[in-house]
Amino acid sequence: MPIKTWELDPNFKNEIMSEAGGEHLASCFQCSTCTLGCPITEIIPSYNPRKIIQMSLLGMREEVLSNPDLWVCLICQTCTARCPQDVRIADVLGVLRRIAEREEEAGNLKIDSPRPLFDKAFQHQLKKFGRLYDMGLAMEYYPKKEGSFIKGMLAMMKDYKDFGKRMFLKGKMGPLGGGSPVKGMLASKIKQKDVMKKIFEELGEGGKEK
Amino acid sequence: MSVNKLAYYPGCPSEGTAMEQHMSTEAVFEKLGVELVEVEDWNCCGAAEVEDPKLLYALNARNLAIAEKEDLDIVTPCSICYYNLERSNKALKADEALRTQLKGIDSSLDYNGKIKTKHVLDVFVNDIGLDEISSKLEKKVNVKVAPYYGCYIGRPPETAFDDPDNPVLMDKLIELIGGEIVPFNYMKTVCCGGPLMMTRGDIAFDMARKILDVAKNAGADCISLACPLCGMMLDGKQADIEKALGVTIGLPVIYITQLLGLALGIEPNKLGLNKNAVDTKEILGKVV
Repeated sequence: MPIKTWELDPNFKNEIMSEAGGEHLASCFQCSTCTLGCPITEIIPSYNPRKIIQMSLLGMREEVLSNPDLWVCLICQTCTARCPQDVRIADVLGVLRRIAEREEEAGNLKIDSPRPLFDKAFQHQLKKFGRLYDMGLAMEYYPKKEGSFIKGMLAMMKDYKDFGKRMFLKGKMGPLGGGSPVKGMLASKIKQKDVMKKIFEELGEGGKEK
Repeated sequence: MSVNKLAYYPGCPSEGTAMEQHMSTEAVFEKLGVELVEVEDWNCCGAAEVEDPKLLYALNARNLAIAEKEDLDIVTPCSICYYNLERSNKALKADEALRTQLKGIDSSLDYNGKIKTKHVLDVFVNDIGLDEISSKLEKKVNVKVAPYYGCYIGRPPETAFDDPDNPVLMDKLIELIGGEIVPFNYMKTVCCGGPLMMTRGDIAFDMARKILDVAKNAGADCISLACPLCGMMLDGKQADIEKALGVTIGLPVIYITQLLGLALGIEPNKLGLNKNAVDTKEILGKVV
């Protein structure tokens, strides 16, 4: 489909470059090294970080932010390591994900991936406990992803029944495992939970600085 | 040997899914005569799920500040924790305004940029050194190993401590303890798919399967690694991958700290070798 120049947002590149990680966007000269080395392209042949960079430079804001490919990036840093122009593609995609999440919160965009829900659920565990609490994360994430508590629990059972049993038998999770009667069933909490709260209230989603 | 005491950052999986990495790290450092002082009341590094740099720097500033008070450099066995600690350390050292801002949030984030952050592999090979380790070896670990490095050992450039295309630190340790490296070069640094496990499990399974397949076809007795997320994908989830994709793999996956521990003569259960999901008995039979 042809690009409609009158629909482009010439400020989009500046918006990206003003965020931490997006500063080097304009250095891209479209060599495609990022895409050729990307492990995702072996599984999704249409996946193309080079294109996302060029569309961002052109100002195709809506197309870029609604592109589901943003959410299958592994942040494996292969693109960043190989880029001859130090564009820091993995970080640029991170900036695009953050802008997309803000647009979704403002009601301007619907993200076609459960990844923001997962990242948020993960961060909630850190804010509450200071460490990752696997069970708490799953209990928050699955119902949100599936749209209801029951569906969420069923999906969680399907994904984690065998794995959970395996971890239990190895004493890594579940009652009586790992030297503690409820290893993995309860959150491991840090003492200074108040500091986590302060950090997230200042710098987290919807925090004072945002 | 230039190091005898370090602050130790275990990371969240140390309490559950990667207990064996935690156990073997502590046991190996003890045997090597390096005292580890656990970072008191440490918090999560943010893993791959905290993408906002400043939020990530704040989380890591607290851990760095705790170690700095003890005047100790930090070591961690987890590649993701290392990446987050190291990039935070770099950002905080370079940016006084950032340090001031974080200190304003809470005094516990008052970090002055005086310590170093290290990955265990880096400490073993570059700080303690192969000669020193060699002098303490008690057994030969006579196994064929596919050394899997994953993402954050050789990438990105500003935090990497090994070659991005052909990292060698783990190879050196394996050869030192009597192991044989199988042809595995092009898979050494391909991502395991872990970051997508909860949101695109299909892609994650595909990626992990490729690594397991290549290692097995290369004739490896086991894969060695140095990251709990890779461990979760390749070991913890291996049976799920077999079931979902209709394949049989059955390849042991062992942390490099566990392999090194065996060579140092440490008892297998103290290294958590009964906790790996894929049975490790065959490997133990090759330690002579």
